[in-house]
Amino acid sequence: MTGSTRLNLLVLPAVLFLLAVYVWPTLGLFRNAFNEVGPTGAMVEAWSLKTGAEVFADGFTFELTLNSLWLSLTSTLIALVLSYPVSLFLFRTNSRFRGLLAVIAIMPMLISGVVRVFGWLAILGDRGLVNTLAQSLGLISTPMRLVFNWTGVTIGLAESIMPYMILALLAGFGQLDRTLEEASRSLGATPFRTFLRVTLPLSLPALALAAGLGFVLSMSAYITPKLLGGGRVFVLATEIFEQATTNTNWPVAAMLAIYTLGLLLLLLAISNIAARRLQR
Amino acid sequence: MSYLELSGLQKRYRDSVAVDDVSLSVEQGEAVALLGPSGCGKTTTLRMLAGLVDPDRGAIRLDGAEITRLPAHKRNMGYVFQSYALFPHLSVARNVGFGLEERGVGKPEIARQVEEALALVRLAGLDQRRPRELSGGQQQRVALARSLVIRPSVLLLDESLSNLDAKLRDTMRHEIRSIQRSLGITTLFVTHDQVEALTMCDRIAVMDRGRIAQIGSAEDIYERPATRFVASFVGRSNVLPATRDAEGRAVLWGETLPVAVPASGEFDLFVRPQRMRILPVSEPVSPGMARVHGRVLRSVFVGDHVEVLIEGVGGQLTVEMQSGSAAPAEGTEVAVAWPLSDTLPFAREAA
Repeated sequence: MTGSTRLNLLVLPAVLFLLAVYVWPTLGLFRNAFNEVGPTGAMVEAWSLKTGAEVFADGFTFELTLNSLWLSLTSTLIALVLSYPVSLFLFRTNSRFRGLLAVIAIMPMLISGVVRVFGWLAILGDRGLVNTLAQSLGLISTPMRLVFNWTGVTIGLAESIMPYMILALLAGFGQLDRTLEEASRSLGATPFRTFLRVTLPLSLPALALAAGLGFVLSMSAYITPKLLGGGRVFVLATEIFEQATTNTNWPVAAMLAIYTLGLLLLLLAISNIAARRLQR
Repeated sequence: MSYLELSGLQKRYRDSVAVDDVSLSVEQGEAVALLGPSGCGKTTTLRMLAGLVDPDRGAIRLDGAEITRLPAHKRNMGYVFQSYALFPHLSVARNVGFGLEERGVGKPEIARQVEEALALVRLAGLDQRRPRELSGGQQQRVALARSLVIRPSVLLLDESLSNLDAKLRDTMRHEIRSIQRSLGITTLFVTHDQVEALTMCDRIAVMDRGRIAQIGSAEDIYERPATRFVASFVGRSNVLPATRDAEGRAVLWGETLPVAVPASGEFDLFVRPQRMRILPVSEPVSPGMARVHGRVLRSVFVGDHVEVLIEGVGGQLTVEMQSGSAAPAEGTEVAVAWPLSDTLPFAREAA
């Protein structure tokens, strides 16, 4: 047996596992998407496009798509702007606390999404930290609505994807080299000009990578839009869950899920091409 | 006052002293090497000059003006990094033009000067390439052109040749030296390679543990090393443990040598192998010569010279003979002679 065959065998368990828990259910999802719902509301085995036609003729699907894209775009941009300086600092610091700081930065990843949402409720709610503080300072008289709407969902989502984006940025900073910034400064560029001409251009591949990841995570997020949206925020993920559980309409849920998956793959492909272009 | 003055520069890190106390004067147009082993503080000194490291103490004066605390981008120093530090996202032309763009020079003028600089380093026609499409030697030239085009007050070269192969290094050494001379540009050259220091610079500052051990011409450093460290770091030497007789003269391998020796403590005599000659035991030597006896252990042919290892009562020594001259056969009893003036006594350092 050659060395490479032996190495290939090592991935076999992982491949089998993925086949069983990922590929097989996804195929099942595809199958369900082409089933129909009978008059009783029960699922009828079929190979028809009726469910698909229903889903895509509905204007609500279009609205959900726009909502999802807009929410993902805004939370990704916010998270990107906040994550970039953090990662840049972590990437460069020689501090002996670097490891600890990195763990703190990605800590939210280790906390359950539900717990995190309740944390945000305590901060952003009508009697939460922000409103109490603003009121006691006399900045506002009535509490601002910061949760159970798009604002809350955007804030919560941005925070929840930040750890992933920080990790992606750190992984993507390969080309960034302190010496290049020193070279720029020695050639007469101010620190700000050095950032614009050297640091930022060399971070673009990392930023593209992180943005792609953040966007995909936002598109598929369910807990945050559901709990922080207070039933007023409708996106593809919440709708899929509604259809699957409340309405037990499996074919519609499956069709929407496949549609979302297709959308994500398309966006990933675009971000990949963009990242590769930037690397050049 | 000299063009560039470093006085009492010091830089400490958390638990080590990188640069302890460095003072140095450099005249306009002069090329000075900072030579020393890694960790001697030579690169830190260079970085302090460029404004990339803040000194804890001391001052840097350039052309009469104090620049100790001036930020790097206001110093106008041309720094050539060991790794070249070319901007990977910019073409060769934009790399070279970077400093001019930052100085607000107009586009046509930048294009003209970049072309001129690339011609100077013999890279004309490669202006649209990306750095990674260039060979190591070409990257080195781009880095040099990029630093020269801003007409720097001082050119700082940080181990700039150490990433090149031996042959290319030789070529670049001569090219950089001739460019430096023709432009009359004040240059500080950090290196651990003594050949580089000896061939490229007007003066050499040998650094040892954060201080300048000796500064002088290549000849000074080589022929008249001021400290034991300089003697052992620059060139090769036989280090011969010697003793002192009742009159305070050196005794080596049973022979008394009339050379001045340290008044007390243990000491060694340093003698360059190529200053030694092998003689038949019977041949007398003239007064100004030292002479010891030994037996030939073996000879090694090293191309341009032959190394002959000789063992005597007090240990071993190596004699470098020109190849072509017949080396004595192994086991032959011989005498080894060298000028007394080439015998340098240095006290042995406390361990």
